[in-house]
Amino acid sequence: MAPGSACPLPPTPPPSRVLCCCTRWSSGHQEGEPSGQRGPAGPHTSAQRCQYCTLVLFQKTPEIYSVELNGTKDIDKTDKGDGKEKYRGLKNKPSNCKKNHQIQEIKEELDLNDHKLSNEDLEKKYGTNIITGLSSARAAELLARDGPNALSPPKETPETVKFLKQMVGGFSILLWIGAILCWVAYGIQYSNDPSSSLDNVYLGAVLVLVVILTGTFAYYQEAKSTNIIASFSKMIPQQALVIRDAEKKTIPSEQLVVGDIVEIKGGDQIPADIRLLSSQGCKVDNSSLTGESEPQVRSCDFTHDNPLETKNMCFYSTTCLEGVATGMVINTGDSTIIGQIASLASGVGDEKTPIAIEIEHFVHIVAGVSVSIGIIFFIITVSMKYPVLDSIIFLIGVIVANVPEGLLATVTVTLSLTAKRMAKKNCLVKNLEAVETLGSTSIICSDKTGTLTQNRMTVAHLWFDNQIFMADTSEDHSNQIFDQSSGTWTSLSKIITLCNRAEFKPGQENVPIMKKTVIGDASETALLKFSEVILGDVMEIRKRNRKVAEIPFNSTNKFQLSIHETDDPNDKRFLMVMKGAPERILEKCSTIMINGQEQPLDESRATFHTAYMELGGLGERVLGFCHLYLPADEFPETYSFDVDTMNFPTSNLCFVGLLSMIDPPRSTVPNAVTRCRSAGIKVIMVTGDHPITAKAIARNAGIISANSETVEDIAKCLNIAVEQVNKWDAKAAVVTGMELKDMSPEQLDELLANHSEIVFARTSPQQKLIIVEGCQRLGAVVAVTGDGVNDSPALKKADIGIAMGIAGSDAAKNAADMVLLDDNFASIVTGVEEGRLIFDNLKKTMAYTLTKNMAMVFPFMLYTIVGFPLPIATVTTLFIDLGTDIIPFIALAYEKAERDIMNRKPRHKKDRLVNKPLVLYSLLHVGVIVTLGAFVVYFTVYAQAGFRPSTLIGLRVKWEKDDVNDLEDSYGQEWTRYQRQYLEWTGYTAFFIAIMVQQIANLIIRKTRRNSIFQQGLFSNKVIWVGIASQIIIALILSYGLGSVTALNCTMLRVQYWFVALPYAILIWVYDEVRKLFIRLYPGGWWDKNMYY
Amino acid sequence: MRQQLRSRRAPTFPHGYRYRLDDQDEVNQNYLADEEEEAEEEARVMRVPNLEEEEKEEEQKEEEEGQGQPTGNTWWQKLQLMNEYLWDPEQRMSLARTGLILVIYFFFYASLAAVITVCMYTLFLTISAYMPTFTERVKPAGVMIRPFAHSLNFNFNVSEPDTWQHYVISLNGFLQGYNDSLQEEMNVDCPPGQYFIQDGNEDEDKKACQFKRSFLKNCSGLEDPTFGYSTGQPCILLKMNRIVGFRPELGDPVKVSCKVQRGDENDIRSIHYYPESASFDLRYYPYYGKLTHVNYTSPLVAMHFTDVVKNQAVPVQCQLKGKGIINDVINDHFVAAGTLHDAEEARASRM
Repeated sequence: MAPGSACPLPPTPPPSRVLCCCTRWSSGHQEGEPSGQRGPAGPHTSAQRCQYCTLVLFQKTPEIYSVELNGTKDIDKTDKGDGKEKYRGLKNKPSNCKKNHQIQEIKEELDLNDHKLSNEDLEKKYGTNIITGLSSARAAELLARDGPNALSPPKETPETVKFLKQMVGGFSILLWIGAILCWVAYGIQYSNDPSSSLDNVYLGAVLVLVVILTGTFAYYQEAKSTNIIASFSKMIPQQALVIRDAEKKTIPSEQLVVGDIVEIKGGDQIPADIRLLSSQGCKVDNSSLTGESEPQVRSCDFTHDNPLETKNMCFYSTTCLEGVATGMVINTGDSTIIGQIASLASGVGDEKTPIAIEIEHFVHIVAGVSVSIGIIFFIITVSMKYPVLDSIIFLIGVIVANVPEGLLATVTVTLSLTAKRMAKKNCLVKNLEAVETLGSTSIICSDKTGTLTQNRMTVAHLWFDNQIFMADTSEDHSNQIFDQSSGTWTSLSKIITLCNRAEFKPGQENVPIMKKTVIGDASETALLKFSEVILGDVMEIRKRNRKVAEIPFNSTNKFQLSIHETDDPNDKRFLMVMKGAPERILEKCSTIMINGQEQPLDESRATFHTAYMELGGLGERVLGFCHLYLPADEFPETYSFDVDTMNFPTSNLCFVGLLSMIDPPRSTVPNAVTRCRSAGIKVIMVTGDHPITAKAIARNAGIISANSETVEDIAKCLNIAVEQVNKWDAKAAVVTGMELKDMSPEQLDELLANHSEIVFARTSPQQKLIIVEGCQRLGAVVAVTGDGVNDSPALKKADIGIAMGIAGSDAAKNAADMVLLDDNFASIVTGVEEGRLIFDNLKKTMAYTLTKNMAMVFPFMLYTIVGFPLPIATVTTLFIDLGTDIIPFIALAYEKAERDIMNRKPRHKKDRLVNKPLVLYSLLHVGVIVTLGAFVVYFTVYAQAGFRPSTLIGLRVKWEKDDVNDLEDSYGQEWTRYQRQYLEWTGYTAFFIAIMVQQIANLIIRKTRRNSIFQQGLFSNKVIWVGIASQIIIALILSYGLGSVTALNCTMLRVQYWFVALPYAILIWVYDEVRKLFIRLYPGGWWDKNMYY
Repeated sequence: MRQQLRSRRAPTFPHGYRYRLDDQDEVNQNYLADEEEEAEEEARVMRVPNLEEEEKEEEQKEEEEGQGQPTGNTWWQKLQLMNEYLWDPEQRMSLARTGLILVIYFFFYASLAAVITVCMYTLFLTISAYMPTFTERVKPAGVMIRPFAHSLNFNFNVSEPDTWQHYVISLNGFLQGYNDSLQEEMNVDCPPGQYFIQDGNEDEDKKACQFKRSFLKNCSGLEDPTFGYSTGQPCILLKMNRIVGFRPELGDPVKVSCKVQRGDENDIRSIHYYPESASFDLRYYPYYGKLTHVNYTSPLVAMHFTDVVKNQAVPVQCQLKGKGIINDVINDHFVAAGTLHDAEEARASRM
C-alpha cells in the first residue's frame, strides 16, 4: 500500500488505519490521536508511570566500546563484570518481591539509546561496518562472549528432584515409615531370636517396592506428558540473512551476534533486536510485544524517545509483514526486550492447582485417619498386653490397609488420559493438574482477536437499493442469501472485483477459497474472497476488464480508484470504479443507483446516512463504492490516463452502495459462550480494539447477551446523561483501558462483582494482569487467554493461563498452563467440560477407593481385639490396592458425564473432592456392607473346614503357636500348625475374593452419583467392563495360577466361595439405587444433602 | 471453642424439615446426654419463630470468624477439619440432625445386622453339627508327640533330674486320661483289627474304644514312673491327629517306624514300640466328632529309645506308614511324615 517509501521519506501512517477512519465512530474518536500511538495505556504511558523505578539493565556506556579493537580483552572483562553485576542485581532483589514489582519492571522502560544514534555512531559502538558487516572471526568471538541468540528456556526443576518428590510425596512417607518399622521390628526379633521368620523383612521390602514402583510410574507419566509439550514447542530453526565479511550469508538466527547487519523481508520473524539502517515499505506486527494488532510502518528515522515507539527499531519475535529492511543487531538472546520480559515472567512462582490441593486434602484425610486409627490401635493392643513388637506390626498392618497405594499413580494416569483427550480437542495441557483447573474455572478472560473472532476481515453487511443486506460471515461463506438479482448488485460486484489490488497467491487451486492466502491488506482480502465466493473466478473477470489506470489508496485521498475497459465488446466506454471512506465517496457523487437505475442522489442522502450510522454502530468498517462510465466520445479507447494529473472526472459519479466489514466471531463462539453462561462461567472480553467494535463483537458472540444493556444503552434509551444512570442497573459494561487506569482496586472489584457481562476495550496487555488480579480477589478461578509476550505475566498469574497455539508467542506458551492448538474459544469450553468431568470422575474414584478401607481395617481389629485368626494379610491387601483395583480406577475416568455437567455452577473452592458425605457414605454405608460380606465368606470358609465362629473367638494365640500341632476345632479334629496356616491363607484368599466381588458392584454403582445406573446405561462405559474383567482375571490368577506360590499367601479356593459374597454385592447395588432414587426424588432435601457426594 | 469448631457450611434446611426435625428431638435426647447440649437445644426450640433472622446472624458471625482466623493451612485448621469428619459440631440444627443421622444409622445397621444374621443362620443350616463339610484341609492327619515340650529337641542330663523332670510331668499328665480304671469305666473293649463302626443317627452318642495306659508297657509310667528318662532310655509317645470320619486302609493299620534321619544309622541301636505292633489299631477308627464321640481316646504308639548314642545330637524321623497316608509332605513336619528329629537325645550327658 505504501510502495517504495524508502528512507528518508516521511513516514506514512498505516493505510489500514485510515480505512478505519472512514467509519463514523472511529473518525470521531481517533481525530485527536496521532497514528502509531494507539491506546493511552500503551507501553509508553505505563513506562511513564514507572519512570521513577527505572532499572538500568541495558545501559552500555559507549565509552567502553570506543576503545580500539585490539583492546577486546578489556571489553570482555568490563562486559563480563557488567553482566555479573546485572545478574547479581536481579538476584539480590528481595525474595519477597511480589509479582507486582516484577510487573512494574516489565512495564518500565529500558534505557536503550541506540535508536538515537547515527549510523556512524552505531558502527563505532558495535565495532562493525554497515556495508561489509562483521568479520567471521569477530562474530565468533562475540558469539562466544554473549552466547547464542536464543531465549534461555525457563528453569526447570532438576529431574532428580522431580523423581524424589514422587518418592516422598503423598502416601509414600507413610509407607516408608511402615517399611522402616517392619525392619526395626525384624531387627528386634532377630536380636532376641536369630531364627525368627523373615516375614517382616519381606513386608518392608514389598512396601518399599510399592513406593518405588508407584513413584517411578507417576514420574514416568509426568515425564511423558512433559515430553509432548517439549516436542510441541520445539520450533523449526530460523534462518537469518546476514552480511558478514562483505558477503550475504544465511545462518541460523541463533548464531547472530551484536553488530551483525541483517536483512529482513516480509514474512520473516525478526531474529533479534534490530536498529534499522534502511527500509523499503517495511511493516511489522508488534502485537506479540505491545498487543497492538495494527501493522506498523518501520523506517530508519528516529521518531520517538521511547525505543518501543520509535520507527527505527524492530524487536525480536515480532514479525515483518511486508517490505524489506536492513538493520544492525543491537541485542541478542535474553538481553532482547522480549527475553527480558520472558525471563521475568518465568521467575513468577507457580501456585498449587486446585486439584493438587484436593488430592493433598484427600491424602491428609487418609493419612490422618490411618495414623490415628493405627495409634489408637497401638494403644489398645499394648494395653491388651500384646508385646510392643506385635503392636508395631499391627500398626503397620493398619496403615498399609488404610492407604490406597495405587491411587496416586492412577490419578496421574487418569489426568494424563484426560490431557490426551483434551489434546485431541485442541487443548494441549502442559501441566497435568491444570486439566482439572479448567473445570473449576469461574471466569474466563478472553482475547477478542483470533480467539473469539476468526481473525480476518469479512464482509458483514451490504447496503444498496436503500436496503441493508446481511452477508454470511461464517467460516466458509457458503450461504449468501441476499438478493443478487438487482442491477445495483451487478454494478457493485463489478466495483468490488475491479477496484481491488489483492490477489491470491498462485498455486492454491485446490485450497478452499476462504483458506487461500492472499497478498494484500485485510479489507481487500475480505473483498476479494467475498467476490470470489459469489462471482467465481475474480482473476478471470479482472482479465476481461483490463485495468488501464489506477490510483492506489492513500491517506490524503482516502479513496482508491481504477479505470478499466469493459468486458462488453460493444461497449467502448471505460469504467471508472472507486471505493473509499463513505463520506468522501458520497461527496464525489451526484447520482445513486437504485435497482440498476441511476437516480439523483438528493432524496437518498438521508437513507445513506441512516445506513452508514447503523453499520458504523455495529462496529464495522464501512466502505463506499461508486462508479462512472466515462463517455466514449470524450475518452476514446486510445485515451491515455494520467493518475498524477487526474485527467478524468472524479466528481458527479454514481453512488452504488456501501459495504461493511468486521472480524466476525467464530461460528462456534456464540454457542460456546452460552454454554459457559449456563455453566456459571463469566466470560470477560479483553481487547485492544475500539469499544464500539468490541461491544459489537461481544454482542455477536453473546458475551453481552441480547437483552442486557450497558450504562450507555440505558442512558440512550431513557434519553438522560450517562452520569445519571444508576451504574448497577446495567447488566453489561464496556470499560476502556483509560477508565480502568483511573480505577482503584476497590472500584475494579465492585465493577467485576456487579456486572455479569463485561467487555474491556482499548486495554493494553499489561492491564490484563490488573483484571486477572481483580477477578482473583473476588475468589474466582480465572482462566486467561493470551498470545503476546506481554500477556505472559497475566498468563502466569491466572489460575490457568491459556496460550494460543497458532498466534501465540513462545513466551506466552511457556508461561501458560495450556495451549489452544486452534486458537478457538470453543475449545476452552470443551476443556472446561473435560475438566469438570475429570473432577467428578476422580470423586468417584476416591469414593470407590475409600470403600474397601473399612473391609481392610476391620480384620485387624477383630484379629487383635476379638482374637480371630487373621482374616486378611497385609500383603493380600496390597493385591487389592495394586492389583484388582488399578484398572477400575482408570476405568472410572472414562465415565461419561451425568447429564447436568455444564448446567451447574463452577465448583466452589470449598467443594472438596473428598467431602464428608463421600467419606461417610463410602466408609459407613457401602464400606460396612463390604466388610460384612467379606466376613461372611471368611466365616463360611472356617466353619466349613471345622472352625465355627464361636470357636474362633480368642483362638488367635493358640492358633499362631508353632509348637501346637494338635489344635482342636469344633468337631474335635486336630490341626497341625501348617494345616492351620494353610486354612488361614485360604481365609485370606476368600476374604480377598469377597472384597473383589463386592468391589465389582462398588465399581458399577460409582458410575453415577445421582442418576440411576440404568439411566446412564450399564454398558455405556466399556472400560468399566474391562476393569471388571481385570478384577476377575487377576483374582483367578492369584488364586488358581499362583495359588501354589506360598509367599503370596494365596490358595486355590473352592469355586462356591466365589459366590458367597454375591448377595452382598447385589445389596450394595440395590442400596445405592435407592439412595440415588431418593436424591432424585427430593433434590435439596435432607437426604440429598447428606447422601450426595 | 464450639464456635470455632462449627462447620463452615451454614445450616440451610428446607422449611418443611424443621417441623419434622422437632419431632426428632425426643429421640435425640436418648443419644445426647450432655447437659450443655440439652440446654442449647431448649434455647433453640424457644427461638424457632425467628429462625431466618438467626441464620443471617449466624452467617454474619461466621464471616466474622472467618476473618478473625488466620488463613494459613495451620495444624489447628487441619485438626478442625478432622473434627468435622468425626463429629459434626454445628449448633442447634446439628443436634436434631445428629439425632436424625443416628436414627438412620441405627436402622441401617439394624437391617444390616438382620441380613448378616440371616446369612449366618443359613450358613449354619448348611453345616452339619456332626460332620465337617470339608476335611481336605486337615488331611493328611498330622502327628503329635508327647511329652509336650515347646521344642522338638529332647535334651537332658540323666544325673540332673531337673533337666528331664518336666517331660515326666507332661507325660504323666497326658496319660491321666488313659488310666486303665477310667478307660474301663467309660469305654468299651472292642475287637481289634476292625473298624468300630457305629451306625445309627448322626446325633446318637457314640461309644469309644478303650486305650489303656497299660498298653504302653514300659512307657506307661506304671513300672518306671520316670518313663526311662532317669536311665537315659527315654519314652516318647506318638499320637495321630483326630480327623472326623478318617479310616485307615482296611487290614493295614497305620504303622510307625522311626529311624535316624541323617547321620549314622547306628546312633540308635534299638527302639521298642508299644503296643508291639507299632501301629494304631483299626478299632479306634472312624472318629465321629466330639459332639457324639465324647469319650474318644486317641490311640498312641510309644517309642522307647533303649540304646541311643549319648552326648551327641541324633536326628530321628518317625514316619506313619499305611495306605492313604501321605508321608512326604514337604512343608509340614507334622503331617504323617512324622516327628522329625524328635529324639534328638543330644547330650544326654553323663559326664
